[in-house]
Formats: sequence, C-alpha cells, structure tokens
Amino acid sequence: MAAVRLMAGLRPVEKGHHMQQEQYSKPHVFGIRHLSPAGAWHLRHYLTEKKPKLVLIEGPSDLNDQIDNITRPETKPPIAILAYTKAAPVRTILYPFAEYSPEYQAILWCKENDTPCRFMDLPSDVFLALEEKRFLAEEAENKGEEERTNVYALLDKQAGEDGHETFWERTMEQSADMESYHRGTDTFGGSIRELSVGQEKDWPEILVREAFMKRQLKEAVDSGLKPEEIVLVTGAYHVDGLLDRTAEPMSDEELKSLPRTEANHTLMPYSNYRLSTRSGYGAGNRAPAYYGILWEALTRGDLSYTARNYLSRIAGYQRANGTPVSSAEVIEAVQLSHALARLRGSHFPALRDLRDAAVTCLGGGSFAAINLAVADTEIGTAIGTLPDGVSRTSIQEDFYRQLKEWKLEKYRDIAAQDLTLDLRENRKVSSSKSAFLDLYRSFFLHQLRVLGVSFVKPEAVNQDNATWAERWVLRWTPEAEIELVEAALKGDTVAQAASFSMKERVENSPNMSDIALVIEDAFTCGMASAVTYAIQALQAMAVENVSVTELAATAHRLSVVLQYGSIRQLDSEPLKPILQQIFYRACLIFPGACVCDDAASKELVEAMEQLNGAALAHDFLESRTWCDTLQEIAARDDLNTKLSGFAAAILLERGSMDNDRLLLEMQRRLSKGVPADLGAGWFEGLAMKNRYALIARLSLWEHLDTYLDTLDDEEFKRALVFLRRAFADFSAAEKDEIAENMGEIWGLNGQQVSEAVNSTLNQSEQQIVESLDDFDFDL
Amino acid sequence: MEEQLQRLPAEQLFQAEIDALIAAEKDPIPTGWRMSPRSVKTYICGGRVGSQIITPKYIGHERLVEIAIATLVTDRALLLIGEPGTAKSWLSEHLAAAINGDSTKVIQGTAGTTEEQIRYSWNYAMLIANGPSKEAMLKSPVFHAMETGTIARVEEISRCASEVQDALISILSEKRISVPELSMEVPAKKGFSVIATANTRDKGVNEMSAALKRRFNIVVLPAPADLESEMEIVRTRVEQLSAGLDLNAALPPVDVMEKVCTIFRELRSGETLDHSQKVKGTTGVLSTAEAISLLCNSMALAGSFGNGKVEDEDLAAGLQGAIIKDDDKDSVAWKEYLEHVMKKRGSKWLGLYKACKDLL
Repeated sequence: MAAVRLMAGLRPVEKGHHMQQEQYSKPHVFGIRHLSPAGAWHLRHYLTEKKPKLVLIEGPSDLNDQIDNITRPETKPPIAILAYTKAAPVRTILYPFAEYSPEYQAILWCKENDTPCRFMDLPSDVFLALEEKRFLAEEAENKGEEERTNVYALLDKQAGEDGHETFWERTMEQSADMESYHRGTDTFGGSIRELSVGQEKDWPEILVREAFMKRQLKEAVDSGLKPEEIVLVTGAYHVDGLLDRTAEPMSDEELKSLPRTEANHTLMPYSNYRLSTRSGYGAGNRAPAYYGILWEALTRGDLSYTARNYLSRIAGYQRANGTPVSSAEVIEAVQLSHALARLRGSHFPALRDLRDAAVTCLGGGSFAAINLAVADTEIGTAIGTLPDGVSRTSIQEDFYRQLKEWKLEKYRDIAAQDLTLDLRENRKVSSSKSAFLDLYRSFFLHQLRVLGVSFVKPEAVNQDNATWAERWVLRWTPEAEIELVEAALKGDTVAQAASFSMKERVENSPNMSDIALVIEDAFTCGMASAVTYAIQALQAMAVENVSVTELAATAHRLSVVLQYGSIRQLDSEPLKPILQQIFYRACLIFPGACVCDDAASKELVEAMEQLNGAALAHDFLESRTWCDTLQEIAARDDLNTKLSGFAAAILLERGSMDNDRLLLEMQRRLSKGVPADLGAGWFEGLAMKNRYALIARLSLWEHLDTYLDTLDDEEFKRALVFLRRAFADFSAAEKDEIAENMGEIWGLNGQQVSEAVNSTLNQSEQQIVESLDDFDFDL
Repeated sequence: MEEQLQRLPAEQLFQAEIDALIAAEKDPIPTGWRMSPRSVKTYICGGRVGSQIITPKYIGHERLVEIAIATLVTDRALLLIGEPGTAKSWLSEHLAAAINGDSTKVIQGTAGTTEEQIRYSWNYAMLIANGPSKEAMLKSPVFHAMETGTIARVEEISRCASEVQDALISILSEKRISVPELSMEVPAKKGFSVIATANTRDKGVNEMSAALKRRFNIVVLPAPADLESEMEIVRTRVEQLSAGLDLNAALPPVDVMEKVCTIFRELRSGETLDHSQKVKGTTGVLSTAEAISLLCNSMALAGSFGNGKVEDEDLAAGLQGAIIKDDDKDSVAWKEYLEHVMKKRGSKWLGLYKACKDLL
C-alpha cells in the first residue's frame, strides 16, 4: 500500500518547490500540516527568503476582514475563526489557530513585513451549504458521522502501533532543515492524497476547492503580479492539486452554480482543551501544549530543549502537587527517552518516547501516578483572548433565534417577568410545534438554567400541578450576555453547550446522587443523548463502594424521573436497567449496612422507605428480592433492632407477614433476657408505619402488656424511655384507640384510660420523667 | 543427560535462535552485549532472521519490552513489577539470555536471603586457616556480574528483608563493591546491570524503599492485552499441564476456555469486554495462571467424578472457589456479576449461570 511504501522512505518523487527552480512561471506553494510548529518555523524562513508581494492562505476567502483582528496586539491565540449558518439547525465550520499554526505565523509575518495577505479558499457560506448537503445525504443513507471513510484511520492502521501522529512527528516536526521538512510534507500530503483520490466522499468537494483556489491565484496574476511573486500557503494535501496544470481554475459559471447559505462569521477565543478534543487533520491537535514546547524549542534553535522541558514540567507539576521528584530522576528519564528514540532510529525523542520515559522513571511504571501532570503538560489549560467587541458567537445567535422561535422575546427586558408554563399538550391547535410550545420553552429555559445563564430563574410550584406546571422568573441583564459568550467555549448552540456542561458535571461528580441529578436535568432539558451518557457514568459508579443510603437516594431520584418523565415526551426506557441494577445492589448490601448505631439508623430508615417506594412503583423491580432482604433484616438478631422492627413494619404493610409470624417475632424480641432498650427499639421501628394495622391487633397489645409486667424496676425505666419515644408522635386519636385496647385488656373503661393517657403531666410526674432523661444506659 | 533435566535455561533452549541473530547482526552492539538492542527485541517479541524463525517469548505489549531494553542500554537497573502470573521472571530470564547468553547469574529472593548472598561471603574453613584472601572469598552472582560486565538477576526482590534490599542501593549507585577485609574495591565493568522482579499484590512482601526504587527504572507488566492472547496462553499451558497429569478428561472446548477467560478478564478489569458496563471487581488477583489451574481442576473433576467432559457444573465449582476468596465482598460481587452480566448473555451462557446460581 502507498503509505507503507512511503513510510519506508522509498518515495522517489520530487515535486512542488523542488521544481520551482527550473520553471519560473509557477507560484511558490508551501505545503504545511496544520498546527505544525516546524511548519510555522520553516514557513517564516521561507517567506523571508522569497520576499513575496502577496501571500495567499488556505482559509475562507470571505473572511479576509478577520485578518486585521487576528494581528491586533490584544489577540492571543489559541483563537478560532467561526462561521455558522443563520438558520436552524446551526452548522458551523471552525478554523482554529494556535501560536504555532503556520497560517497564523504567515499572517503575522505579512503584517510585520507590510505584505498583503488574503485567504483563498471557498467562501464560508459555500462551505456551510456543502456541509448541509453532505449531512442530508448521510442522513438519507442512515449513516452516522463516524462511519465516514477516514483516511487518517487508514493511515493509523498502516503506521503500526504508534499511529500516524508519532510518525509525522518524527519525520516533520523534528526536521532541522527545510529540505527534510519538505520531504516530510511531500510524503504526508502525497500519501494521504494517494490513499484518498476518488476514494473519499469529500473528493468532489476537494476538487471544487482546488479549482477555486486556482481562480484566486489567476485573479492575482491578472491584477499584474508575477506568479513567482506569490506564495501559496496550503495543506500539504493540496500541493499536488494546485500545481496540476491539467486542472483549470473555476469559471464564472461554475462559481455562480455553487450552493450558498446565509451565514455569519466571527473570531472567538479558543482553548487548548478544545484543540485537543478535535484532533485529526486540520481541526486539532492531541497535545497542544506539547506542540507549544516544540515551537519554543524551534525558536530557541535547540531541539533537545523539548525533552528537557517536557520532563521537567511533569516533575514540576508532581512536586507542586505533593509528590517528590528528584532531578536525578528527570535526568534518567531524559536518557531513557533518548534510548527509546534511538531504538526507533530517531535522533530526538517523540512525544510517545517522552511519555513512556516519564511513566517509567517519574511514575514508578504506572501511568495513573502521573496522568494529571501529563494532561497539564500535553494539553494545558491555555485559553485565547480577543479584543473587546470582536466576538459574536453562534451560541448568541442561536439564543436570539430560539427566543424568537419560542415567542419569548418580550421577556428579554431588564424588568423581571413571570412566566408560567403548562407542559401538557394543547389539543386546541393543529401543529405539534404550537401544541407543545410550552414544553419546548421549558426545554430551552432548563438548558439555560443548566448553563448557569442568569436570565432564567425557576420558581417552586404548588403540589397539585407539580407534574405539568412550571413557573419561571425571566430577567435580562448584561451579565447574562457575558455568561452566554462564556458558554460559547462549551458548544456552538445552547443545546450543545448544555450537553457539554452536563457531561462535565458527570465527570466531576463525586457521588451517585449528583449524577442522578444530572439525569433529572437531562430530562428536564429534553436531551436524550446526555441521559445516555449519564447513565453510563452512573453504572460505572454503582459498582464502586457506595453506601446503601446513596444507592437508595439514587434509586429514588430515578424512580421519580421514570414516574413523571412521560410528560416530557422522552423515552425513559434506558433508565430501567440501571435502576434495576442499583436496586439489586442495594438489596444485597442492605442487611450488612444495618449493623449501626441509632444515630445512623435514621438515614437507613429513610433509605428503606425510598427503596420500598421504588419497588412498589415499578413492576420491573424484583419485589421478591426486596421482600427476601426485608425478611432477613426483620429476622436477624445482630442488626440494629429499630431497623429490624421497621423492616417488619414494611413487610406487614405489604402483606408479607401474617399475624402469627408477627406475634412470634414480638414474643422473641420482647422476651425476658433481651435488654430492654433493644426490645423497645424494635417496637419503635415497628410502630413507625401503618399504625392502624397495629392498633387493630389486640393480641399485640396484650403481649406488650405482659412483657412490661415481666420487667423489674430498673429494666422498666429503660423500656419506658424508649416506649415513650416510640409513642411520641402518635396522634391523640391514635392514643385513644390504644387506650381503648389497653382498657379492654385490663377490663377497664376505655374512656378513663384514654383520659389518663392523654392528660398532660403534672409537676411531680414531669420531674420523674425528666430524671429519666439523665438515665445512664451504660449500667 | 539433558533430556533428564526438568527445564533447561533459556540460552540453551533457544541457542539456535540466539546464534542466528548474532550471525545476522547489522546494528551497533553496546559494550558487553552480544547483540544489538533491536535484535534483543526480535528475540523476545518474535520474527525471522534469514531462514530461522524466532518464536515470540513474550506476547503482546511490545512497547514495554522496548522500554525494558532501552533501560538496560542506559546502564540503569530494571525492575519488573506485576501481579503473580504476569511472566516477570520469564521476561527477565530471556532478556539476560539474549543480552549476555547467560541467564544463570540469579539470586532467588526469600525472607531468608542475607546480605552476604547479595555481596560476598567466605569459605570459613579457609578464612580460619589462612585469614582473609581472594581465594577464601565466595562471590555472589551480583559480584560475578560486576566483574564480567554482565547482567545479574534478582528474583522476588520484595520478599527479601529491607536491610538485604538496602545492600543493593550502594552497588547500583556507585557501581562498585568494597571488600574492607582485603582493603580493595571492585569496580563494575561496562555492561553490568541488574534485572529485578517484584510482586505487588501478595502476602509476605516487604515494601521497597524509595531510595532503592529510585535506582531502578520500573516497568509494570500487565495482564494479557486481549482475550485472544490470553486464550492462546491458557490453551497452550492447559495442554502441556494436562498431558503430564493423567486427568482422564478431554481438553475443555474453546467455548469453555472463552467463558473462563471472559469472566476472569471482566472481573479483573472491572468492566465488560465490550466496555459497555462496569462490574465490581474482586479481592483476588484472578491471574491467567489461576485460569489455567481452574481449567485443569475442572478437568480433574470431570475425569474423576463426571463423564470425562468438562460440564458447566464442573466449571461452576471451580469458578466459585477461584472468585470468592475469603471476603464477603467477593460474594456480593459474584452475585451481581451473575445477575447483571452473565444472565443477560443469552442461551450460550444460561447453563453456566444456572450451575453457578445453584451453588450460591
């Protein structure tokens, strides 16, 4: 295959700049790899050497007005040129520039040397129209974007375990002289072109672009410049195409026939993080900060600076974060990285060698030990800046468009206004858009809420209509506008940015119930994709050592989403397996968690209640497993008795414990010899639920009565404290009924007993009871 | 005579390959080595030299082999760390065999290893009769390696007491050994280095001091990279082992090995093979070696008490024993794995699921 041959260094073809010396009628074409420090470095020298009168750069030709902004002193890369469609759905194209982007350095060189420079590629509105067409075509074929044939994936396979990045780093970024750099770019552009001629889906588009670029060149020549006075800066991929004499420049008719769509463009601040997430040709770079080090090394004229700097930075980060690293270790790492490079026949270590050396010498063989340092050194946290007022981003555009679409424009006012939404379908209107207008509004407002844009503020609604009504307070301030611009770094549209910020929250969540909250948010925002992502994270966390209370709280949240999710027209089916899993796990570890003191038992009672609620609400949760768990808790003697009692109460309520079983259990729990506090604790747990059922069981009270009779004075005092607590929140009516029971047992008039029970304590009685508060249970 | 040995050292077992590599050498050879770093890598990861096929000794993770070799080129000592059963000693032996043609300069570390065994000791009869002399000195493998500029191996270094480990520190940093009794100092010749191996997750190991760790470049050997390579290792080893053990059972079919390796890999890595689901890990190591012994054990069960074919029941007993060690958490993890992963895998796994469920 082509690339294999090329990588073995066998490519004999000489073209491009090598031929320029012989034929003077050609322009100078400098092929680059985007975001390549060596390219930027050599390009600057190349320009100084050729002293062109015009520099044409690959980039949308309608965005020339941004060149001035790029060269302003306040502008600090990484920045990006962004073009986006005015109509929904918003499509964008993005040209990111780092400091070491060849294009960026070419623009700077032109400014410094008073040389005109222009972009020469298709105008952005054409690009966006083509993008739109391609998307529609793909949708028709029912294919996702990932499935597009990708020559880079092909290259990766052929370059072996390193992937193509390392290969290009060795052949291009480490080339000390321009000749070897050009050999590298020729190989690079040529091999990709060879792999993709006619193969890639984009091929017709590529031909159109090259024809257009040639047209730009022809216009420049027609205006009186000689071809050799012009330098074209373009991706190495296009060099062969631009020098191909058989291909004609684009004609006027062809230009007219190009599709166009209404579009806007702007400069926006970019971040290293975003550069690294959009790796691939032209759009990004896996290790932007590391490439920054390469750029620094080139400007210092010392390529060995890279290894020293990279490894010292990692060591510095480790030290700053509390892990001691000695200089000796850094020296060892530098040596090892060079030995690794030599093993590959390379003079300087590539990123891969450096990282492996760092893992071996600074991380004790484990990547996990230095992964944060590596992320900081390779990706970095740099964010670009722009002069004030330059940026009008697509997220702002999207926001105003949606404001109009959902008829919310009148709320964009400095005065706060209320908005009440009814999420149910409005059956009086015909189109689905207006039938669910309020629902869509709610999605939009929730997305803004998730993004932290202070324009929206949710208000509580009363219980009756909680499932379908929402109240909001909307107020527009300049801060809201700023918050919106800041959100531009997270995505191109409000929805994208909200989805990104939820993803971020999921990644940074320390516990499960926080992720469950994100799931709830994703539902309120109407964003199914975020739901899927959060579920995965939740699943991953559910296997960690999570407490049963955490599991129960999560199960409860999910259960609520499942019950009330349907009003939001989202498929809640994916939540079921995860809820099942969490529920099952909670069942398995619940008995073990019940070994605890009374203080902790409060939380567990709540957890048990939440799990029971979930089990009752959803058929797909195995109620048998839950009942088995409860039976175990109810029957075991080594657990907190209050919890055992409460488990018995739930079983009783579910009809899974009959009268005989209950009596037997009560006899065992309240028998002589069981410490009174344990027995009474059990009764307290039992009495926390379904009191009427308890009150109705006369035999139960009979037994309690006999039990109390068996206690001696000291024991009775203990039991009294607990029983008093157990009955504390019984209502007067309930106490009445208990009194009637007792009356019946003692053969007295229920009324009299009730009066005695419900009357307030007199002073002497109060004193006795208070003395019990100081009762020493450690006796 | 050689046939009667249970096992030959690597350099004799693979002599033909080593000779072929040396004969075909084109790259520069470091001082004290017998072949270039690239040839060492070919010897270990496999390939071909002329008509000689070089069998791969270490499957997968070629990059780690590169790092190990590069470490030895830089004169640094190499420490191979890994869980039991990750081929640390195997790799160390073959590295020494390829670099020096001699893998026998080895100290086998135990709790009873003494400092003398790392440095030197004396022939006490001669010492008492004639006083200290060069003749009365018994040199350790490390001493020998320093004199000859070759590689010494220290196996299970973390099992040695820490004062014994400390004896290595000055040897590795100063590259010389002093003999005060004879008032002399022996400097190491170029090419001297040490390959040590250590266990991370085991009982009875001593924590290594930071000072000693710093003398080493550390390479962590992981479990086999993917299901295929692990199954390949398991298949060959089960075949070899069962041949010598008269188990009266047929070799387990491929799908049984696949099931065992899948379960082990998933519980070991904490997620399903398709990465779609996290699973709770267990306290045990669940190494490839354990998978091998589990399968042999199942074969013994099937051969002695079953129909000679490894059935789901034979497997279930072994699995439960291997996975649930002594911890309550293991049992919870295993139950969850059965419910959330195995049960949902469909009919192929149903028999095993039921057999495992019955045992719980």
